[in-house]
Amino acid sequence: MPVLEINAISKSYGKIRALENVSFNIPKGSVFGLLGPNGSGKTTLLSIVLDVLQANSGGYKWFGESPTYLHRKKIGSLLETPNLYHYLTAVQNLRITQTISGRGNEGDIHAVLEKVNLHERKNSRFSTYSLGMKQRLAIAAALLGDPAVLVLDEPTNGLDPVGIAEIRGLIKELATKGHTVIMASHLLDEVEKVCDHVAILKRGQLIACGAVEEVLSAEDCLLLSAADQLLLTEKMGRYPGLVRMNATAEGLECYFAKGASSAEKVNQYCFEQGMVLSQIWAKKKRLEEKFFELTSK
Amino acid sequence: MISMILKTEWLKLKNYRAFWLLLAVTAISYPGINGIAYYAFMDSIDAKTQSGQLVKMLLGNPFAFPQSFHTTAYLSSFFTFIPAIVVIMLITNEYMFKTHRQNIIDGWKKNTFIWGKFISVLLITLIVTLFYLVVASIIGTIATPDADRTKIVEKAHYIGLFFLQVFCQLSIAFLLGLLIRKAFIAYGIFIFYSFILENMLSGLFRLKSKKWGIDYGHYLPFEISDRLIPLPPFIGKFNEADNKLAIAAIESHVVYTLVLTAFVWLLSFYIFKKRDL
Repeated sequence: MPVLEINAISKSYGKIRALENVSFNIPKGSVFGLLGPNGSGKTTLLSIVLDVLQANSGGYKWFGESPTYLHRKKIGSLLETPNLYHYLTAVQNLRITQTISGRGNEGDIHAVLEKVNLHERKNSRFSTYSLGMKQRLAIAAALLGDPAVLVLDEPTNGLDPVGIAEIRGLIKELATKGHTVIMASHLLDEVEKVCDHVAILKRGQLIACGAVEEVLSAEDCLLLSAADQLLLTEKMGRYPGLVRMNATAEGLECYFAKGASSAEKVNQYCFEQGMVLSQIWAKKKRLEEKFFELTSK
Repeated sequence: MISMILKTEWLKLKNYRAFWLLLAVTAISYPGINGIAYYAFMDSIDAKTQSGQLVKMLLGNPFAFPQSFHTTAYLSSFFTFIPAIVVIMLITNEYMFKTHRQNIIDGWKKNTFIWGKFISVLLITLIVTLFYLVVASIIGTIATPDADRTKIVEKAHYIGLFFLQVFCQLSIAFLLGLLIRKAFIAYGIFIFYSFILENMLSGLFRLKSKKWGIDYGHYLPFEISDRLIPLPPFIGKFNEADNKLAIAAIESHVVYTLVLTAFVWLLSFYIFKKRDL
């Protein structure tokens, strides 16, 4: 059973269509990346499933049930910016989170502050924190009571490189313990490093969704080099099953429909055409390339 | 459930210095205004002049029991705007820090959030009423050294009327903060409306009342509850006919105030439930 089922959600702000008929499921135990450029609807979608925005149509289910406030108590969430009381200290803020959600106890408050390296400043007011420290405290609030599901909207916002690495490590650790992490980000590298599933949004529409490997490898790509690149380009242009080619400084990128070819077959084809390849490399596409490819269409 | 809401609201307020500071200002303002009025009155009747003696003869002592409850309530009501600022601050802070969203995200129902504010406004009203009660009792005791204990409670119903007036006006302040969301704009509108605009409208309706046969000014949002505590008799004596009508209308205004307060809170629940946060 999916942790979250999103079913045909649409949302408009006046004439602007923020989300259009978005549907997908988030499997239990996954680290699910919600990707999209600024303004693609990531935060709007998370706000809807956390009940701070109302969808114009469509719906969603948490844990296979119609959503209630009881589900939100079980979910640790950081939405958009750290939303905490500026005049209270870290401990005082977390006590409010604890009272409302019912997650954790006084001991857990200190434990999560240790976890995000804020324990030394636990008695400082939130207003005196740097942006990175505020973000750490918001993450601590989400982690309080070790919830089985976490919703993190741009969790590494404002963090320094060490902080970013720590949070990534934390998310990976949560994943190994079986937690479900739903993470919105526009940082592709971040999603690629920590997520096993991904959904890509563009102008409110879902353009790709699935396991990261599946989304990335809709096509096979081989990088080829030969002494005569022009001749190689001409010969490969006639290769059956070729989808497209792209000449780069590294060599000739040849794209094939998934499973339509292999390095062996291409090598043999070139040899039969009287060409000896100096390089043949099955190139794994990076998320960044796929993202730009999808979002630039 | 209520204890959880109370605990959460207490955690929000107990370390908020501005809240305690404004409550302290309220606590000072009540004995301040009443004390000044009391000593001014005592000075005037102590004077050996003919006018001083005339005042004493005509007015009696408005600060003596049981009149103290009425006079003090009337004078204290001029300072309801201070706790109103506290109430506006409570709700606009939530919008400013976006903690209203976080409270919902963390597991509160939208109704629970407004119940939290309802309870806070109720408690602030109780505290303010307590300030008033202490001041009314102290001034009454000072002004009536030989008080007849059986007569002290004769005008004690003004305690309830003061509570209802403050609660109604603080509820309106809350609704304004909920609608406007920005603290300084909400303060500005509250002060401008309650001190200037409503008085202007009230005057305008009074002028038109002879022609229309009804004074609609009595039904303006603040005027509805202002009329729970009419002019104290020592001032009211200057226009005795109007004062009698005002005292007779108190019972109706209790009903109007209760209806208005209920409407304000129902509207607050509705707005918060329907609005995107």
